[in-house]
Amino acid sequence: MNVRGLILALVLGVPAGGLILFGPRGQYDAPPGRTVVRYWEKWTGAEGAVMHRLVERFNRTVGAERNIWVQYIAVSNIEQRTLIATAGGDPPDVAGLYDYVVPQYADQGALRPLEEEARAAGIALDALRPVWLEIGRYRGTLYALPSTPYTIALYYNRALFRAAGLDPDRPPATLAELSASAQRLTRTEPVPLPGGGTGTRIVQAGFTPSTAMLGWWPWVWPCFFDGRLWDGQRCTLDTAAGRAALHWLADLRRAQGPERMLSFEGTAGAIESAQNPFLSGQVAMVFQGPWLSNWIAKYAPDLDYGVAPFPSVTVERRNAFASTDVFVIPSSARHPREAMTFLAFVLQQDVLEELCREHNKLSPFRTPSPDFYARHPNPHIRVFDELAASPDVFGYPSMPMWLRVMDESKQLLNIVLRDPDQADAALEAAQRKADAIVRDYEAMAAQRRRAGR
Amino acid sequence: MRAWAGNARGTRGLGTGLLWTAPWWLGFLFFLAVPMGMSLYISFCDYPLLQPPVFIGAANYATLATDPVFGKVLVNTLVFAALAIPIGTVLAVLLAVLLNQNLPGQGLFRTCLFVPTVVPLVGAALVWLWLLNPEYGLINAVLRLLAPLATGANNLIAALSGGHRLTWLSELAAGPQWLSSPHWAMAALVLISLWGVGSAVVIYLAGLQEIPVDLYEAAMLDGASAPRRFWHVTLPGLSPVILFNVITGLIGTWQIFALPYVLMRGEQGPGRSTYFYTMYLFDNAFRYLKMGYASAMAWIQLLIILLLTALVFWVGKRTVHYRGA
Repeated sequence: MNVRGLILALVLGVPAGGLILFGPRGQYDAPPGRTVVRYWEKWTGAEGAVMHRLVERFNRTVGAERNIWVQYIAVSNIEQRTLIATAGGDPPDVAGLYDYVVPQYADQGALRPLEEEARAAGIALDALRPVWLEIGRYRGTLYALPSTPYTIALYYNRALFRAAGLDPDRPPATLAELSASAQRLTRTEPVPLPGGGTGTRIVQAGFTPSTAMLGWWPWVWPCFFDGRLWDGQRCTLDTAAGRAALHWLADLRRAQGPERMLSFEGTAGAIESAQNPFLSGQVAMVFQGPWLSNWIAKYAPDLDYGVAPFPSVTVERRNAFASTDVFVIPSSARHPREAMTFLAFVLQQDVLEELCREHNKLSPFRTPSPDFYARHPNPHIRVFDELAASPDVFGYPSMPMWLRVMDESKQLLNIVLRDPDQADAALEAAQRKADAIVRDYEAMAAQRRRAGR
Repeated sequence: MRAWAGNARGTRGLGTGLLWTAPWWLGFLFFLAVPMGMSLYISFCDYPLLQPPVFIGAANYATLATDPVFGKVLVNTLVFAALAIPIGTVLAVLLAVLLNQNLPGQGLFRTCLFVPTVVPLVGAALVWLWLLNPEYGLINAVLRLLAPLATGANNLIAALSGGHRLTWLSELAAGPQWLSSPHWAMAALVLISLWGVGSAVVIYLAGLQEIPVDLYEAAMLDGASAPRRFWHVTLPGLSPVILFNVITGLIGTWQIFALPYVLMRGEQGPGRSTYFYTMYLFDNAFRYLKMGYASAMAWIQLLIILLLTALVFWVGKRTVHYRGA
């Protein structure tokens, strides 16, 4: 190397070496000597601020006593990032996931069983409502603890009920009543047709299961006909309940007019806006969670509305959909004991209820504190809470291949909403695909077992 | 002795060269070559990401051959490429020629055409969601205004063909349900893809500057009309640039992901009509935890792109004119 090369190497190499040795590092504000617990969570904004406050409280109190420092990191697409970090051998110590991925991750051995460690850390699991623990279990083992649970109920616009001649104090109690009310609450207006003549368009719908109009759970309808989508071995879309649900949807759609409804549904605004179809009066009844009251308070504070259990096929049954965000500890987490200490802090009733209240969710405890109800932003929170106690409550199917099946069930609903006459053929096709998905998954699992993995 | 000295100098030179190019080849090796090799191996494995890969031979490729969703995304992507690339190319060339005329306000028009390409995709998608709103959208409002024309055209067709009417023309006149109809969702995406035509126009404008003026002068002396000058001078002169844009467009359309993902809010679209190759690949890798299957898809995608690119080059050999060649 000549002198010029040497000078050039020094000019480039010295600053590069300096940067590597003395350059910026990841920001840790942890006091020296504390074990850092990395906590990844999906919440940002106001929701993230509450959790951040609780983390700071932990770091000041229990964390200071036990030499633990929890680092709260808000992460978008948390399922994918947790997955990749776990696969790469460097997962967070605690992750805040959605309940429907728990079976998938648990089946791959990515999650740590929590029951024994939780009890040893002093978490009063028996104080939690059984449904929230059941949701965190996969094949009998507890892999996830509830963070902010919710159930889904029927929101209905009392003013529109009155205008349609319906009793606003008597929301539908069965699915047949829901269909009848939906018909009376659907309003149309005349529009000129391009080829001459007059047609009609929908300006207000009684109810629609469309995902565009706040119907975020396209797979859920058979469950209100007492069906369940997973029997432990087979995905059961085509049961009597599945067929009844599909025919109910198809009949409702035919009565409303599929083309007109599709056109109407294309006008929906986002939930977090004044164009939210329930707030704007476009839809009289919606299947939604407790958080909807946040947007009502913000954009339509004078809305006269009620909340009731979503009806089942018969009055006797109280089917209710329950779901929750969850805490998990990845199986290869570096500090699982410290992570559990943090979870024991968060799962104290006063702490967790503070989080759930500010997230406008339910308390996961069997007996929520009076203060929880008194200060809750949703005036109808007791309705949601009672649903969680229903003997007919159900969650996402506990299937490790659920996401694929869910995509098929979305397509199934989509076909029925576009062309109700295709309902039976679409159901058969969806069942065949679901069977193939389960078969494919089981075959791969068997192959891995044979390979000793 | 002199040969030894020469060899030593050569070795030293090679070492120095390797040292100075190390940032590139180390990056290439560790961030491209090795991952590609691993991806090829993984495409022959069952690899759920959270457990080690298990070799299963060509099973992933065999499954792809019978997977109806794979067939659907393959067709969707091909159709999108077959529509978006030719329409985008024709439109961009015509706009470039128009903007190349020495007219007042030329700079303003050029800027207006280029501005959409710097608008963030998510913002543009939200605007398009409103434009394509079936009830209140601007596009359907304009179509409804033009409905008598479409109806007249359909009546004429019916009269000439013994009562046969074009359904799609009737739907267009009524204002289609752009994003919720499996028949119109693809058309909506192609339409939106034209929003970014400005970047191609800029490249074509640069290409137009390269066409010698004396060719136009000679053509005019020979009495060639404007359309003939466009056909016999402009298009051949621009053909290398068209080739470049078609190839980059081809690669881009096979990788389409963000636009349909944002527009359809992460869904697969009505009847999976806006579900594209890369979206299915992503779902397999990161939602369904089938990394082996996704890797097999990635390799097939690479092969398809290579084949199509080779085909374009083959066609280009006969149709592209290089100056001085």
